[in-house]
Amino acid sequence: MRVTAAGSYPKIPNRPRPARLRQAIARRDRGDITAEELARVEDEVTIEVIAEQAEAGLDLVTDGQIRWDDDQTYIAQRLQGFEITGLIRYFDTNTYYRQPNVTAPVRWQQPILVRDYEFAADHSTKPVKALITGPYTLAALSNDSHYGDRRPLVLALAEALHQEAKALVAAGASVIQVNEPAILRHKEDGPLLQEAITKMLDGIDAETALYTWFGDADGILPLLMDLPVDVIGLDFVSGPGNWEALKRVSFSKVLGFGIIDARNTRMEPADEIAEQIQRVSEFVPAERLYVNPSCGLEYLPREVALEKLKRLVEGVRRAGAVAV
Amino acid sequence: MSGLLTTAVGSLPKPGYLAKARTAFASGRIDGAELDKLTRQATAECIRMQEDVGLDVLVHGEMERGDMVAYFAELLTESMAISGLVRSYGNRYYRKPIITDELHWQGPMTIDMWRYAQGLTDKPVKAMLTGPYTMVDWSFDEHYGSRREAILAMAKVVRREAEELVKAGAKFVQVDEPAASTRPEEMELVSEALGIVTQGLDARTITHICYGDFASVFHHIANLPVDQLDLEMANSGYNLLNLIQEHNSEFQKELAMGVVDVHNHVLETREQVKAGIRKGLEVLPPERLFIDPDCGLKTRTWDEAEAKLRVIVEATREVKRELEID
Repeated sequence: MRVTAAGSYPKIPNRPRPARLRQAIARRDRGDITAEELARVEDEVTIEVIAEQAEAGLDLVTDGQIRWDDDQTYIAQRLQGFEITGLIRYFDTNTYYRQPNVTAPVRWQQPILVRDYEFAADHSTKPVKALITGPYTLAALSNDSHYGDRRPLVLALAEALHQEAKALVAAGASVIQVNEPAILRHKEDGPLLQEAITKMLDGIDAETALYTWFGDADGILPLLMDLPVDVIGLDFVSGPGNWEALKRVSFSKVLGFGIIDARNTRMEPADEIAEQIQRVSEFVPAERLYVNPSCGLEYLPREVALEKLKRLVEGVRRAGAVAV
Repeated sequence: MSGLLTTAVGSLPKPGYLAKARTAFASGRIDGAELDKLTRQATAECIRMQEDVGLDVLVHGEMERGDMVAYFAELLTESMAISGLVRSYGNRYYRKPIITDELHWQGPMTIDMWRYAQGLTDKPVKAMLTGPYTMVDWSFDEHYGSRREAILAMAKVVRREAEELVKAGAKFVQVDEPAASTRPEEMELVSEALGIVTQGLDARTITHICYGDFASVFHHIANLPVDQLDLEMANSGYNLLNLIQEHNSEFQKELAMGVVDVHNHVLETREQVKAGIRKGLEVLPPERLFIDPDCGLKTRTWDEAEAKLRVIVEATREVKRELEID
């Protein structure tokens, strides 16, 4: 059993610690500092949040997506074929992203995440996983003014992100996580997801994961078992229906077990976490388990996020299977 | 009162001196009395500006409020607290509250400032409340563990405040629910909670809703328990009007239609605004149509806000003259 993060980490701490990244972005916007100076602050904050995840006791960390405005634009604006438009709500959260608009054929131009991965790996004592927003979710959360049909857009994105995954592996990434929360809102598109993920991860020599959040995978979990990935991440907080889904399938992969609520400050008692781990062990053995928050941690204040991760690690310890 | 009344949605920009004073207060460099003095000064400027522009129904400007949820959360000291900063988008963060205990009304939260503002003008000043659904949706919940329970408990708190406002003389009570269109499956809960606030209240009740996919929840929105719906239109190309037209027999309310985009520095031309008003008049009679900006103007500069309100008033006057509406 290993403990990991599902994605993002809060970018700024609360008083009395200074909100350095927020201040740096504001200064860059005013023209007081250069893009390079801002990038240096982003690097420093990335080092901080990697260290916080390690301090909490995680076995596998992320770079916290410190440089990302949101899960969509960071990738879309660096691909060919997109323009970035107005703010739109991200699922049912009180957070917003700028909606990408597809105006031309989607193509990969150059590495998007490679430098970020290399930087994180160089500054982490723990293994780092690379995060990519998946082709289905990128398509579903964008506006399409070019293809006129979701399938060709999703497949074009799968091809573009295949190039990115290859570049990440070439840079040494040993774990690649593809985020596909949108598929839970469009389960009828399971076969299209399968086609896209198969294309994207074809020949990718790394541990691969597909993560979902904000709902349950009941109804498409058998299809997820057939995907060419090693890990399936499920959110058991927003999606208690995942317990039912587990009963109906032979869970043959590693489970990314999302159990602490990354959208609420209530601190789960470590015993409650341990009980959940006991419960899931009926379906998935401990050696095939990642335990992680229900989704990215950016919905929480920084200090709460860190405390939650510590609770998670403590819960795992109490469950009697300390990570090795 | 005649038809085609002009109004504002709620917030107005804080003058520079007040923004500075709020920062100074937060870090303990000035005391509450000093901040209150400047807040009232700014509120008086808001009233004067709206009278000068010629609005019919005024707002007090919300000079005393930072965030529309945190403002109330900080006054509900026995049941709510502020957790810390959470990012909303880009480089924007908000101080997200937590429900820590059983919600209950502790005392007036909005009466003083409303009464002060209304005392400065003969025109009606809207009383502004944040709705129960939005209060809960934009807070963490460490107490109830059930969205429904928390929202209905919050509704009773907001109801009590609304009653106090009516007692103080408010003729318009606006209960803002910007979070309402987030989850179509919870629209009945939005409506139930809003009903607790507005049922039998002796005032004209309004709700402002924004940022949403209205088409999927239009039936619910059209039947919310308020007298007036205040909806953004300019930002969405007036698509909402088509929905109202399609469901005309179902839509019995007054509509305050937003005719200027509050998220854009660019000032709409008088002709653009007039075109928007005329579109509204194709769907609703003037006595059921109010004209206002899409949303609160607090993110604009003072001059931009004043200019946007002025173009609304001028365009409305011209349309009224042309169509001989009084």
